[in-house]
Amino acid sequence: MSLLTPIQLGGRAAKNRVMFGPHETNLGRDRAISDRHVAYYERRAAGGCGIVVTEEASVHVSDWPYERAPFSGDCFEGWRLVANAVHSQGALAIAALGHAGGQGSSAYSQRELWAPSRVPDVNSREVPKWMETVDIAAVVEGFAAAAALARSAGLDGVEINAGQFSLIRQFLSGLTNHRGDEWGSDRLLFARSVLRAVRETLGDDLVVGLRLSCDELAPWAGIVPDAAADIAVTLCEAVRIDYIAVVRGSIFTASATRPDMHTAPGFNIDLARQVRAAVAGRVVTSGPTAVSGPTAAVFAQGSIVDVAMAEAALASGACDGVEMTRAQIADADLVAKWATPERIRPCLLCNQTCQVRDPRNPLVTCVVDPSSGHELDEPLVIARAARPRSVAVVGGGVAGLEAARVAAMAGHTVSLFETSVSLGGMAVTASKASGRHRLALIARWLEAECRLFGVALNTLHGGTVLNADVTIDARGSVAGPLGIASTGTPVIDAAAWLSQSTALSIGADEPVVVLDGIGGPIGVSIAETLAHAGAVVHFVTIDQVAGNELARTGDLAPANVRLQQLGVTRHLRSIARAVTVEGVEIEHRFSGNRTVIPASLVIDANHRLPSPSATGATVSIGDAVAPRTILEAILEGRRAATSIADIATPTQRASVMS
Amino acid sequence: MSATGRYRYLFNPLQLGPITLKNRVVFSAHLTNYAADGLPTQQHAAYYEARAKGGAGLIITEEHSTHPTDWPYEKLIHGFHREVIPGYRKITECVHRHGTPILAQINHNGGQASSMYTRLPVWAPSPVADPLFREVPKAVDLAEIAEIIDGYRLVAEHCIEGGFDGIELQCSHSSIVRGFLSPATNKRTDDYGGSLANRARLLLQIVAAVRKAIGPDKALGVRLCGDELIDGGTTIDDAVEIAKLVDATGQVDYLNTSIGVATASLFMIEASMHIPPGYALFIPSALRAVVDIPVIGVGRFKDPLQADRAIAEGHCDLVGVVRGQIADPDFVAKARAGESEATRLCLSCNQECVGRMGLNRWLGCIENPDAGRESLRSPIMLSSKPKNVLVIGAGPGGLQSAISAAEHGHNVTVLERESLPGGQVRHAASIPNRAEFGDIVRNQMTACTSLGVKFQFDTDATVSVVRSHAPDHVVIATGAAPSRPWWASSDLERIVDVLDVLRGDANPAGRVAVLDELGFHHAPSIAELLADRGCSVEVITNGMVVGQDLGITLDMEGWCMRAASKGIAQTTDMVPMGAAATHDGDIDLQLMHHPTGSTTPHTYDWVVLCVPMIPVESLYFELQSAGVSVQRVGDCVAPRRAHAAVIDGSRVGASL
Repeated sequence: MSLLTPIQLGGRAAKNRVMFGPHETNLGRDRAISDRHVAYYERRAAGGCGIVVTEEASVHVSDWPYERAPFSGDCFEGWRLVANAVHSQGALAIAALGHAGGQGSSAYSQRELWAPSRVPDVNSREVPKWMETVDIAAVVEGFAAAAALARSAGLDGVEINAGQFSLIRQFLSGLTNHRGDEWGSDRLLFARSVLRAVRETLGDDLVVGLRLSCDELAPWAGIVPDAAADIAVTLCEAVRIDYIAVVRGSIFTASATRPDMHTAPGFNIDLARQVRAAVAGRVVTSGPTAVSGPTAAVFAQGSIVDVAMAEAALASGACDGVEMTRAQIADADLVAKWATPERIRPCLLCNQTCQVRDPRNPLVTCVVDPSSGHELDEPLVIARAARPRSVAVVGGGVAGLEAARVAAMAGHTVSLFETSVSLGGMAVTASKASGRHRLALIARWLEAECRLFGVALNTLHGGTVLNADVTIDARGSVAGPLGIASTGTPVIDAAAWLSQSTALSIGADEPVVVLDGIGGPIGVSIAETLAHAGAVVHFVTIDQVAGNELARTGDLAPANVRLQQLGVTRHLRSIARAVTVEGVEIEHRFSGNRTVIPASLVIDANHRLPSPSATGATVSIGDAVAPRTILEAILEGRRAATSIADIATPTQRASVMS
Repeated sequence: MSATGRYRYLFNPLQLGPITLKNRVVFSAHLTNYAADGLPTQQHAAYYEARAKGGAGLIITEEHSTHPTDWPYEKLIHGFHREVIPGYRKITECVHRHGTPILAQINHNGGQASSMYTRLPVWAPSPVADPLFREVPKAVDLAEIAEIIDGYRLVAEHCIEGGFDGIELQCSHSSIVRGFLSPATNKRTDDYGGSLANRARLLLQIVAAVRKAIGPDKALGVRLCGDELIDGGTTIDDAVEIAKLVDATGQVDYLNTSIGVATASLFMIEASMHIPPGYALFIPSALRAVVDIPVIGVGRFKDPLQADRAIAEGHCDLVGVVRGQIADPDFVAKARAGESEATRLCLSCNQECVGRMGLNRWLGCIENPDAGRESLRSPIMLSSKPKNVLVIGAGPGGLQSAISAAEHGHNVTVLERESLPGGQVRHAASIPNRAEFGDIVRNQMTACTSLGVKFQFDTDATVSVVRSHAPDHVVIATGAAPSRPWWASSDLERIVDVLDVLRGDANPAGRVAVLDELGFHHAPSIAELLADRGCSVEVITNGMVVGQDLGITLDMEGWCMRAASKGIAQTTDMVPMGAAATHDGDIDLQLMHHPTGSTTPHTYDWVVLCVPMIPVESLYFELQSAGVSVQRVGDCVAPRRAHAAVIDGSRVGASL
């Protein structure tokens, strides 16, 4: 059996076992599922996905966890359009329903938060109201009403959230349910009530799924895997559940559910296996929803981004299906490419732009596929060029590679020229730092695709570029100025240090200072790399927290734990003022006190500058315009490639000038 | 003495180029997050109209972006789209209805932006990353500079077509013009960089283009930064020279001023109550000395008298009052009528105005629940059947319930257990430099008095006391009480709550640990108070930063500076796991460093707890069981911050 084998979920048959799971997108308009959502989900269904679960909708007005959080009462039309679009591609469409409880926000509703008990959320620190009986009844009713709406919108069913951000988990868990009434003495009562109300609303035919946090990673009072298995069994015996998506995470572990590349892919597979073993054969045996089987299907998830791992999870009996959400954000055609996995554009697990729980309301997108989330306004459409041109791409980083790939796919004759020995540019350089290895995957994939489409890849090319109709400047960046007086102690920029072959042979106990003016992953990963190599590492930042900008990827707290455990000294709220023979003089931002950190090497992890333009370039892209991230490199690479037909050739320019 | 007689200058009309102002109070430009899909909204119109109706002399709207490369925050008005014009007309019609002139501020934020919304490179004079956005911008070339100038021209035309009386060019705070003016961000070597004349070239070209576009009958102002408060940035000497250049064009009708850079020193632009009013007056003062056109001064003016004095002392011709008019749209009208005591004074707490703005939420106000909701409110209708309403508790929630109910025509009595109103606010405001927070109680009590709300202090409300009042409705606003964490045995007398210290019931001395589990003013405030009293203070939090939410109110920098100067230690990532008394009465606190899991003992003389409180809710449930019509508001629902109590009170009081 393969994940491409159909699966029966209650009364619905999915054509395969690959799920696009529910996640925040900010694609909504106000609190409705929008045209952007429809296009986003339709694209994944068109790419072969068997089961699409839409962004969670709040089931009650007491829940408005983020500004564009869908509200079930506003979702009917959007759900209807999603159902039509997804069905037209042969996939199932399921609505995620939930209530964030004490993990929500009062900023938009201007009302108190509701939760089982008065336990403040770890991040917001807002104390919720403990729900009165009437409140509990209202939310249970909200779930049923939302399910009814989903059914009338033509969806195939609903998925009830008892995962990380959920009121149901808050009731299930000893961390957050301290009630003395029946809702506390029986912590499963709320989950059972919701599931029963939803099942009774939907009848036997439609799918009822459950997203269940099976490890809160807080064993002193939270749900542990053994307890989760018992919870799953109890719920399955009480109400017919068609599938369970096994997740982990809770209030103390915000980043554990969807961690970045620092966490090994597939981390939840054994957890899914344990739950699947427990629920095997456990079904409702009496009452109106009694069934003779089958058992609830178990979907594994947790950074599963490659086909082999997904198939192995199925083959080993850990699960009946796999949720591959980020993999399908990175490549909507994941399932269509199942038989040729080397063609699948790899998810880097970077979380840089797909994780959108951020007050700025960024739209979901993907650094390696910037068309994700932009299906309506900027899909990647590669039309066969009416008049193929000769295209020279100067620079073999991801911007140049993407430009070359897309231009070649359009039928242009493309040559790429890279001065260094290998392709991939800064993505490959950055991948050499600790924990960042997956960044190289996109460079490798782009290189392979370029070869497949006949791009002439020239490395170690130092000379001038031959005459071409169009020359794309993708020469990347150079180190920026240090900006402070520097004598004595050697200073090297982060990229240069990572690139040199001796980088990892730093002397043991050698004192090294990392100057991080960006607060992103670069400075932190360099510090980790140094510490792993045995150096005595000092990390200098103006911010209150190291890696300040990592909050969005979920790596902020984990990064600081790693630095702590590696013994990196963090000089917070500090400004480097000079590099001297002794080391680095820093100034405390708030006291003005100056101290010197002894160092034998200083690594400058600050902003870079664009490379001087290539002579005769028609267009510049990526870091050559302004040093930024992989997202902008790829976006501008494909924009340049898809507009080649609009770019004047040197001959045309000459004729205009004459 | 006439009603306005105590303000010698505030109500003198002033000519601003072609337009006449009836007084000197300006509702100057500030972000609101009211835009939707890049367009101005009905909420903008209602918001500005309320201030026009309330007597503002001049309104300057929030910025309108001049170019598609400029989109630093989600809810920005895209002035470069013609689609904005109907919304502009709506705004200007609503404001003009009250005879108030209104200008549009136009701007390109330059490098103080990210590409998150535009998916385009950020434009700036030089590839210098902004300290907040941290994205390296593209240095604009000459064609792009021409495009920027043309963008200002285009948007100015849209604004005039939309009925505005003129244009203000934002050249401070966050602006590509600021970027060019400032040596910190302009590293160019062409005609737009280097000398001051070169750095000001873009500004002067924009002035010329915009004046040409709007003609002589509209006002044109320029807002300049007098001191960026950053290394290598624009200083007052530069600003004076720039002001001279602007004045010399003869095309500009006034100068507005500011201090700080929005993305580096915002805490000095929208200063909280720790910074004295009028702190930025040296800027208009210096500029006014060298130019002939009127100059606007800004900087935490919260009382008409302060504003009048700034003019009297010759610092400026006009005074920007933003937060004062957010808190009370009738700020000017009340001053003119001689009723300044009735002004709902701004607290400069920044909690719901600045604090919400930074989080991409609509601009509101901690004590004016209508702020930001003007377009959703209908006029108050007096109840046809006035009820007897009994409010239990005179904290912000109870007082707001009383105000709201009384405004709707009900007869309201407030019972309060203590002898003074204010609840926890009274104690919070007893901290040095937090006194202005107490103005919320003063403001609410003033409103209650004028509405005829009756008070009974020193009255413990019970079911029978409530029944004796025979109320039609009861609103419970009994607040919250300190709680004791599981690890802090009640016989440890030197572990006390922050309220115990503020009430004077405990007097910590020596080595004091302040435990911050609230992430706001509580722990920093008490730490400062105790440090001032000579204690050796360490603030300990389970979070990554002490007072995590002080960042949104712009109090973080000030707190960190004061903590540094007072020797207050800040310890993060620590969870208390136990406490015991030593033989000499000290407290041994077991602290677990949660990133590593290691637990170590720390010895203090006292421990002060800033931890979540418990709602005082029993009376609510007792009355509910007794069949009394009862609702509850504020901390007795869930202990939160003052704005929540005010919002609850406002809603419940209006619903009776």
